Formats: sequence, C-alpha cells, structure tokens
Amino acid sequence: MDVQEAVAESTPAEAAQDKKDGLRRFTMGPNDSLEGKLTYDGHVHVDGHAEGELRVSGNIEVASGAKVKAFLEASNVTIKGDVEGTLNARDKLVLGKNAKMSGDVTVRRLQIEDGASLNGHVRMGDFEHQGSGG
Amino acid sequence: MSTRAPGARVPGKTADQPPPETPTTGHRGGITLGPRDRLIGELHIDGDVRLGGTVQGEIHATGDVEVDDEAKVNASLAGGDINIRGSVSGPVTARKRLVVARSGSLTGDVRVARLVIQDGATFSGNVSMGPQPDAFTPAPEPSPASAAPEPVAAAQAPDIAAERQPTRTDGKAKGKPKR
Repeated sequence: MDVQEAVAESTPAEAAQDKKDGLRRFTMGPNDSLEGKLTYDGHVHVDGHAEGELRVSGNIEVASGAKVKAFLEASNVTIKGDVEGTLNARDKLVLGKNAKMSGDVTVRRLQIEDGASLNGHVRMGDFEHQGSGG
Repeated sequence: MSTRAPGARVPGKTADQPPPETPTTGHRGGITLGPRDRLIGELHIDGDVRLGGTVQGEIHATGDVEVDDEAKVNASLAGGDINIRGSVSGPVTARKRLVVARSGSLTGDVRVARLVIQDGATFSGNVSMGPQPDAFTPAPEPSPASAAPEPVAAAQAPDIAAERQPTRTDGKAKGKPKR
C-alpha cells in the first residue's frame, strides 16, 4: 500500500482552503510521490514525483525540481519543473524559465518564458468537448 | 535595434559555436520591407531583415528577422533571433531565439534553440527544441518543390500515450500486495 500512503502523507496540507477563490488545495511536498489517477476539485500543487493522470477543476502548479510524467488537465497550468505527457489547459499554460515540457499541448493561452524548453505539438483554440468552460 | 552584436545576449554560447557565415562584428547588411511592400519568392540575405508587408516564399537571413505588427507573412523563416509581432504562417527556424510577442500570431512548425511566447500571442504547431549545434545547416533539398517539415514531435505522441498505459496498470498491481 505504499502508493496510497504517499498520498495520505500529503493530506494535512489539503485541508487548507485557498483564501483567494475558496477552492481546496492539494499540496505535495518535495518528498511526496503520487502514482495513479487523481481527479480533484480544487488546485493541485505538485512537488516531488507524480505519475499517471491529474484531472483538476482548478489549477495545477508543477514546482521547480518536480518530475511529472502524466496526463494533465486543468484550468491554468504553471510549470517550473519537468513534465512529460499530454497537457490540456482550459485557460492558460505558463512555462517558467527552468521548465522542461515534452508532449503535446492544447491550450487557450500560452506563455513561455525565456529559458524554458518545450518539445511537442502546440494547439491553441477553444475546447470543443468543454463547451462554455470559461 | 538592428545594430547590436548578435552574440551580445549569449556571451557563453558564442565561444563554442563560431558561426562561419555570420558577420558578428562590423557592418551587417539589412533590408526593411515596409507595410506597402510585397515579396513573393526566396530571399537569402547576409544580415538582418525586417518584414512589414506581405511576404510569400522563403526568407533565410544570417542575421535577425523581425516581423512587424502589420506584416502578413506566408513563408518559411530562418534566422538568428526571430521576433514575430505580426502574422506568420510557415515553418520557423531560429538559431538563437524565437519570440512571439503578444500581438503576434504564428502557425507552423518551429525549430529553435530558445523560445519565448508572450501572453496573448497565438501559436499552433510543432515545437522542437534542444541541443542542435548546427540548426542552420540549410537542409539539402532533393528538389526545391518538396520542402516538407520534418515530423519530429509527431513521432513522440504515440510514445507518450503508450508509456502511460502500462504505468497505470503497474501502479494498481503494485499497490495491493497480497498478505
């Protein structure tokens, strides 16, 4: 049950409600790891290691130093670490200056800072399957 | 500013890759196409280019390429630093850095050393980045008509999808050890 334990360790931080928009927050620290499929109503902050699938109603933030190998779907995605996989941002994707992203990306808006690295296909436009999402 | 030295922003990089055909110092040729100018065809230029009007075909510059707000470019672009503020449709190769400004729009496959996309910009296409010491070696074309972009990242997509599948089943099997 080592995988589920890793998730449980990070639950204390989850309790914190975000003051700004009232959404819950799922926070992983640098020593946490998640393997599998997470569907979460709120924001997810990934540090450490994540592998699998993250579907999030709020935003995903991948911290610098984090390694993610997953399918990511969220409103806004901010990447400062390493990400490998397919990514859908219903609103905006930001690649920070040390970010490494490899995989196909579908976004509404895109911002790439100098120094970031991206390999993959970029598609911009509205999401058909999402309807009036934003 | 078209007069700045091309290596000024990356002093560490210029040392290990001396560009053979880029005049890094001294005069640099340069041309400007205004909003009412039009170019259809192929342009090879030793120096910088500034595009303001309508362009169709191919632009190869040893210096930088600047695409102004009102420009309509339907061409492949190759240069050192490439700055897009207008609308570009076609493959782009930047030996140094590609910037798509907030007013810019780019549709096409991109091979660059560094990439900046400002918020508000529009971009669709393949991006291939990374160590490419001589990205500018003008690809030996068998015939001028067949200038097809290489499907670099297209081959990556199935890889990733295939990798994800076994990962999940792995996790399930590992997560429940029998006692």
